[in-house]
Amino acid sequence: MERSDEQKSNEQKSAVETGILDNALVMIAVLGEKGRIVSWNHAAETITGYSQQEVTGSDEIWKKLYPDKDYRRIITRKIDGILKTKNFFENLETTILTRSGESRTILWNTKKIPDGNLPRTIAVGMDVTNEREAMAFRGSIIDNAYVLIAVLGPQGTILVWNKAAERITGYSPDEVIGRRDIWKKLYPDAEYRRTITQKISRIISESNYFENLETTILTKSSDRRIISWNTRQIGAGGIYHEIAIGRDITEQRKAEEALVAYMTEMTMRLKQPVGIISSTLLESAQMVKQGVLTTEEIVLVLEGQARNATQIAANIQEFQTAIVDRDRSIPEAYRKFLEG
Amino acid sequence: MSTGTGRFLKHTGNSLKGDRVPDIFDAQDLEQKKIFLILATPGMIRERNIEIIREISARGYHTVVITTNFPYSILTKQYTQSGIPKECVTFIDAVTRNSIGSAENIPGVVRYINNPTNLTDMGIAVTEVLHEHSEKKICIMYDSVSTLLIYLSSANISKFIHFVTNKLRLMEVSGIFLAVEKGLDPMLMTQLTTFVDKVIDTG
Repeated sequence: MERSDEQKSNEQKSAVETGILDNALVMIAVLGEKGRIVSWNHAAETITGYSQQEVTGSDEIWKKLYPDKDYRRIITRKIDGILKTKNFFENLETTILTRSGESRTILWNTKKIPDGNLPRTIAVGMDVTNEREAMAFRGSIIDNAYVLIAVLGPQGTILVWNKAAERITGYSPDEVIGRRDIWKKLYPDAEYRRTITQKISRIISESNYFENLETTILTKSSDRRIISWNTRQIGAGGIYHEIAIGRDITEQRKAEEALVAYMTEMTMRLKQPVGIISSTLLESAQMVKQGVLTTEEIVLVLEGQARNATQIAANIQEFQTAIVDRDRSIPEAYRKFLEG
Repeated sequence: MSTGTGRFLKHTGNSLKGDRVPDIFDAQDLEQKKIFLILATPGMIRERNIEIIREISARGYHTVVITTNFPYSILTKQYTQSGIPKECVTFIDAVTRNSIGSAENIPGVVRYINNPTNLTDMGIAVTEVLHEHSEKKICIMYDSVSTLLIYLSSANISKFIHFVTNKLRLMEVSGIFLAVEKGLDPMLMTQLTTFVDKVIDTG
């Protein structure tokens, strides 16, 4: 019997659809009543490890993909909840267990499709495991970075506030994310806040970002910390965020100030006394030449200046020790030398 | 506190030996028992010491010199050479005993303390000397803050000067602290200038 043109056309259409289904890069499952599998494409086989023959005609596959009863119940309730208000769901993320025992993260989208009088739902599942892992990895890097990282959305709303941000400022992500008032807390002095804001505005208007801008924040526990800020604009497709990276340089600054104080003190306590010893000896020499001083007085002067010189040497040793104690980054060889 | 900078003016009056006497101080400041920080270069600090004593002696003051560098015996010779009468000066000597171990005080002339850092003994000596000369107009000169840097940290020097200036004010006595110019760090300099009434940089 010869086939009609309509039959030929339907057969061709079906072949094209089957080809699309099988060659799609996403899981596509056509579901009948109660989640019974009508069609299961090649990608679904690859991702889950279950063949079309194994899954078609039954709903057992869902128990295999979600073997944990509690998790399955949660997912079912979620789907039921969505389907109460609409006959499809979008971007529902679940974790399936494949035949080989591997967990994969699938992003589901469904749509009801007409197929004569039969209720049919097409479920499209995109395997986003790698993306989620990469995202989690990036999130982990951001979260565990040693520097304060804050991502600001439009209007300055905080979108990301990492662990270092919490550790440095004392404010947890719950207290900060989705809000804009953190800056008022970190810079409670209105005048200082205004100065900082003006400075930032000026820099941003010139170069869109700033580097090594130092500010002093007040933490939740009322400590003052010096932060060196760097910002960058990140994003694509017209959506841009500001990422602010803050390095806590409080200890560094303290060490630098201490070092300057040591150096200044050392300079003062070396330069002046040595100058005085020099002048005293020259003056004494002059008086010796004039025959003004007795032997006893000459000895007195020389002994006094020798004592001063000894004390200066002791002072130098004290400073060396102080510097070694303060700066742990001094190489071992120099440390030993300075320790005398 | 106010400051005077640059080379100070000299005048020819009130000379003890007919030499030119430096006009470092306003008579009124001394009358008002003000406290001064006098700065000089290391090479000029001895000369300034002598010029100051000349000037204030000429103004009728008895000077109590607290010396932490040159011993009393040598300073006396220098002052005599410069025409300063011995009776115009009394010494608190923080050098001699430190070197030779023992030296007997000479009432009205010199009191010895064991070393420049013994601030308690220094305080007692100052009180006793002031008592000995209670009928005179007294000015105390500390020579010098810079020498003290050998033995004390700047923080302790600051505390010491604070203590001494307070004591001088309570006793209503003029005080002069000699120091080497540009040798004090900004922090110490700021502190010292708040303790004294006037800073005079004599160059």
